[in-house]
Amino acid sequence: MSGGKGPRRLLLLAGGGALLLAVLVQGAIETRAAARPETSPLLYLPSGRYLDVAAIGFDGLLADLIYIWSIQYYGHYDIADRYAHLDHIYRRVIAELDPHFIDPYLIGALIMNVEAKDPEMALRLLDTGIANNPGRWVLAFEAGFICYQDLRDYDRAAVYFEKALAAPDVHPLVRRLRAAMVDKSGDPRAALRLWIEIHDTSDDAYTRQVAWNHIHDLKVAVDLAELRLAIEAWRARHGAPPRRLAALVAGGFLGRMPADPEDRPYRYDPARGAVDYTGVPVVGR
Amino acid sequence: MTARIAAIALNTFREAIRHRILYLLLVFAVGMISVSQVLSLLTVGSEEKIIKDFGLAAIEVFGVLTGVFIGVGLVSREIERRTVFTLLAKPIHRFEFVLGKFAGLALTIVVNTAVMAAWFAVVLAVRGMFDPRLGLAVLLLLFQCLLVTTLAVLFSCLSTPILSSVMTLALYVVGHLLWSLDLLQARLASPLAKTACRVVYYLLPNLGNFDIKGEVVHGLPIDPWLPVWAAIYLIFYGSAVLAAACAAFQRKELQ
Repeated sequence: MSGGKGPRRLLLLAGGGALLLAVLVQGAIETRAAARPETSPLLYLPSGRYLDVAAIGFDGLLADLIYIWSIQYYGHYDIADRYAHLDHIYRRVIAELDPHFIDPYLIGALIMNVEAKDPEMALRLLDTGIANNPGRWVLAFEAGFICYQDLRDYDRAAVYFEKALAAPDVHPLVRRLRAAMVDKSGDPRAALRLWIEIHDTSDDAYTRQVAWNHIHDLKVAVDLAELRLAIEAWRARHGAPPRRLAALVAGGFLGRMPADPEDRPYRYDPARGAVDYTGVPVVGR
Repeated sequence: MTARIAAIALNTFREAIRHRILYLLLVFAVGMISVSQVLSLLTVGSEEKIIKDFGLAAIEVFGVLTGVFIGVGLVSREIERRTVFTLLAKPIHRFEFVLGKFAGLALTIVVNTAVMAAWFAVVLAVRGMFDPRLGLAVLLLLFQCLLVTTLAVLFSCLSTPILSSVMTLALYVVGHLLWSLDLLQARLASPLAKTACRVVYYLLPNLGNFDIKGEVVHGLPIDPWLPVWAAIYLIFYGSAVLAAACAAFQRKELQ
């Protein structure tokens, strides 16, 4: 049977018409789908450990695809409970499929912290990332920054920055942040030691200048705290503050007499037993 | 003997490169490697990882599919078309016929992988992401494809093309899940069951030996002896499978 031009045209026309109808039906399906809540795909995504079996060696590729999907999904602000499965998607699925995939830890933590306003969830994800990738300083750095910036938990921040410092090729900023956190957590002596170490070991002029500024103010704080402690001890024994600060050294209340960073003696008011710094703090000036 | 195997291999290669499915798979592979560029635009960071993952996956999937789809018809098609009788009427041993067929397909797969790898290298070089360690990953993927091809040739000597495809692909999947047998063995109480599990573990092809995609993509250290061990494993296991294929074809009644 040979086909003429007429039936061929008719067939093409019918095919084109059917395709047009299929496009219209697809549009209708999508309109109906848009009306439904969009969380269903997440409910059926099992843990990465199970997906790993199904991936048969393509676990890295599967992690890529789920990560790309998650970026699109979390960029869609119309879904009401879009943050309900954040921990599952990033920590239980992507991180278990490809534990060395760094960006999902960082982006997942960003979404959890900034958008879902759940810094503890972000820290759990970053902790998983740190455990899986101890050589990647950026994960501990990010966790430390969340503790510093959002939780104002300087002790925890210092611990994370210390973890970051244990990794190779760490950015010099981390040392400074760690010293700053130790200072903010209320241990000026330890902070002073860290800033001196940064100052003495850094090759960068800017870093040395920043370190020197902190050393300047911390030295004043530590010296004044030591002097005030010694004056209080003197007062407890003698009933009144000493007439001169030098008496504290002679009486064994102070190991040595500190001078301020400009090498001047600290100002002392014997009537009130008050000691003070005559200069101006330099950090933030 | 070598000359006869080489002649069959060359003919098989010529026949394979005329196979439409080869070009279809090659176009899909090149397409998938290229599409990774577009997909990387949908992500935040990780473009390099995604392009590398996609490229390596494309080379593996399409390399294996080439081996399977062409390999399973390698012997059975010759029998079906009765061209095998013309060949075997000549002073050729049956095992030479099987080895020649495998060598021809192996050459096709090497060329196929080289084309895919070259395109992958171009895509990476254009983006400034080329990493010479990827060559090592591609080499191991080629070893894997060759091992899968030996299985396809074995099943081609034993069964129909459809059944052979199913069995080869099933063994490919199983070969990537052997670690689960290792886990199962650790949980078994009976020493007999443990031994049986261990025997099955060692008898099945362990394709995990050829998978360093993750290490290469993440820049993790790789045991420098791993490619050598993988090559030795391919030689021994592949030889065993080809020997079985030759034995099966030797006993096959051709009429």
